[in-house]
Amino acid sequence: MLVAGVREAPTPVIATQDLVKRYGGFTAVDGVTLDVAAGEIHGFLGPNGAGKTTTIRMIAGLLKPTSGRVLVNGHDLAREPERAKASLGFIPDRPFIYEKLTAGEFLRFHAGLYGVDGTGVGDRVREMLELFELTKWEHELVESFSHGMKQRLVMCAAFLHRPPAVLVDEPMVGLDPRGARLIKEVFRRMASRGVAILMSTHTLEVAQEMCDRISIILKGRIIARGTVAELRAMAGHPEDQLTTVFLKLTGGSGLQEIDEIV
Amino acid sequence: MAQPFPYLLLPSIWASRNRAQRRERGDLLRAVMFGGIAIAVACAIFAAAFWIAWQLADYAELGDYLLRAGLSWLFLTFLSFLAFSGVVTALSTFFLSDDLRLLLAAPVPSYRLFHARFARTLVHASWMVVVFLTPLLLGIGLARCAPLSFYALAVLTIVPFSVIPVALGTAATLVLVNVFPARRARDILMLMGLFFAASIVILLRYIRPERLMHVESLPDITAFFSTLQSPITPLLPSFWAGETLFASLQGGRDFLHLAALWTTALMLMVGVGAAYERWHFAGFSNAQEARKARFTRLHVLDRVAHRIPLSIARRHLLIKDVKVFLRDVSQWSQLLLLLALVLVYLYNFRVLDLDRIPYMGGVVKNVYAFVNLAMAGLVMATVAVRFVFPAVSAEGQAFWIIRTAPVSIREFLWSKFWIGLVPILALSEVLTVAANELLGVDPFLEIVAAVAIVFMSFALVGLATGLGARYPRFTADNASQVAGSFGGIAFMVMAVLFVLVVIALVGWPSSVYLFYRVRHIPLDASRQAQITASFAAAALVSVAIWWLGMRTGIRALQEP
Repeated sequence: MLVAGVREAPTPVIATQDLVKRYGGFTAVDGVTLDVAAGEIHGFLGPNGAGKTTTIRMIAGLLKPTSGRVLVNGHDLAREPERAKASLGFIPDRPFIYEKLTAGEFLRFHAGLYGVDGTGVGDRVREMLELFELTKWEHELVESFSHGMKQRLVMCAAFLHRPPAVLVDEPMVGLDPRGARLIKEVFRRMASRGVAILMSTHTLEVAQEMCDRISIILKGRIIARGTVAELRAMAGHPEDQLTTVFLKLTGGSGLQEIDEIV
Repeated sequence: MAQPFPYLLLPSIWASRNRAQRRERGDLLRAVMFGGIAIAVACAIFAAAFWIAWQLADYAELGDYLLRAGLSWLFLTFLSFLAFSGVVTALSTFFLSDDLRLLLAAPVPSYRLFHARFARTLVHASWMVVVFLTPLLLGIGLARCAPLSFYALAVLTIVPFSVIPVALGTAATLVLVNVFPARRARDILMLMGLFFAASIVILLRYIRPERLMHVESLPDITAFFSTLQSPITPLLPSFWAGETLFASLQGGRDFLHLAALWTTALMLMVGVGAAYERWHFAGFSNAQEARKARFTRLHVLDRVAHRIPLSIARRHLLIKDVKVFLRDVSQWSQLLLLLALVLVYLYNFRVLDLDRIPYMGGVVKNVYAFVNLAMAGLVMATVAVRFVFPAVSAEGQAFWIIRTAPVSIREFLWSKFWIGLVPILALSEVLTVAANELLGVDPFLEIVAAVAIVFMSFALVGLATGLGARYPRFTADNASQVAGSFGGIAFMVMAVLFVLVVIALVGWPSSVYLFYRVRHIPLDASRQAQITASFAAAALVSVAIWWLGMRTGIRALQEP
């Protein structure tokens, strides 16, 4: 693995140690070690099928690792699952929302799941709906929402209980430019308030623009980690765009083959 | 977090409330139809239970013995049903349900999640038994002038009686999912369900319940019930439930068996809860694995499809539809079950001893030919609503592929029609011809019925295809959901009306013809004209339904 120079690391809010996931004879994730500090936006990049979503799902507690550890806010996910999960907000790539609930009902239910209760819930729900520009949809059934609106609603839910760590799987899918800008701004604000964000994405421009550090995963292994500048240096092309760097690190563009086939 | 487990049931409750508040089109029709059928069935169960319990009261000790054994037998049947239903429901609620991804990512203690999911499994698996038992026990209680405590004890008995098999079913599911991937386990369960249903049908035929209807077979009844007794019977919860209720019916108390029910239920809850904490997460992780595709080497299908003179697009639509059907166990297992029921139906015709009625035999046989035709029509309508009506909706979110492909909607829908028509026509023709042959009906009626079935198949499949396209549900999870939608109900109503009209239009001229022929009276010209007009009207109605159905569907899909 290519790793940029050792730096003094603050205590990580999200950490994985030698995470492995095997499906029969196939190893989807092979010894992934990651750490995301408070206030850091950490990009998690890799080609399709590299193991990003599997890793994210293991950190979210949706998939049992074959071996390795996940720590969230200092809590071991295997030993203290409730404490670890209470510190986490999770935004999946294909979110499930109860279609027959209204946006407000869904958020109130979600708040209850995370132990947020009492008189302040209503205000917090409205606050989040306003932040994600869904206020006028509070009493509408989720089934009438577009994909982008559902995505924003899931983000409302993820930030509702003020988690110190947030996991995001492909945040920009289905969002219009206005929605995408809004999300970027929210993530930046949250990070500036100390929230650790681990974000898997295919949109390299987003990663380049937003992430403090980036880990690149290929065939289940982390092959490179560092800031955008450090990754450029690793690829040996300090001036290149992240796309070029990504393609070089993950095994070439395949453009030659395209030419041959076309 | 401090929320108790019922909190996790809130989304289902809120969703039901929202659904009730925001009525969709067809809700009223659906409620009236299903509500009416449910009330009629409940009344029938109540009346039957009341009548049997009332009649048995005349036989003093023998009557009591039969009632006691009957209760035990009834609960034994429910026990097996609940155990199986528990396995199937637990698989869905504990492992495959979409909201698990949300709930498992939340800081919910696993025992609370277990209790919430178990409550859901219990309700889903046992509501049918409770709905069936309520009028039944009411009927027995009222017929025997049971004290009020009987009804209270009935509730106290049914709750643990339902918990026990559902808990065992949940435990079996936990084991299954940890051994097989969950999605493969679902296939295995579907097949198990098929064998379960088939074995019940075979058992019923083996017992031959019709024997019990004869007065002279009274000793057979006691023999029949005594065969159901075995040394392990007193160890089964069904026996405990039967004994508790029977004692209460007599005005007594049987706390021993009631206590056995409750302690077993609670012990199983604790045991299964512990097993859940230990194995659920591993099983759920297993459930994320993709299953391998079946029938990937269906060269025979490809070869057959290439021999059929079809356009390239239609050929590939056919191949796709057949492959999708074969890979969905829930689809073909239901079709196999239906075939099993049809075989039992035919077998009943074989054992039907109409010749015992010397003078009426011929007439009854010919009347049965029309009953049979109506039955075939209703079977066709049921198969069509389950398998043909959802054909367009089955394209689901992938319908854009058809929309953007250079395939006309007309071609697409006709392809769906032919794919539905061929198996349905074959099934109903075999059913009608075989049943008429077994009955020995008049050859003229055999021909009329065989021809009528062809017309009815075209009409019903056309109507199902067309209405399925007119009222598609692209977001539905499964075909049953589509069949139960407004369009599906509307189709069933129209289909039943159509079958009745055709039976009347075919039945009247046929009976007139046979009447004249049996009495050797020549048919005059006006009678001949009436008979021809009636047959022609039946054919015309069928063609009109077929054509209108398809046209409605094509127009609806062509609308931008």
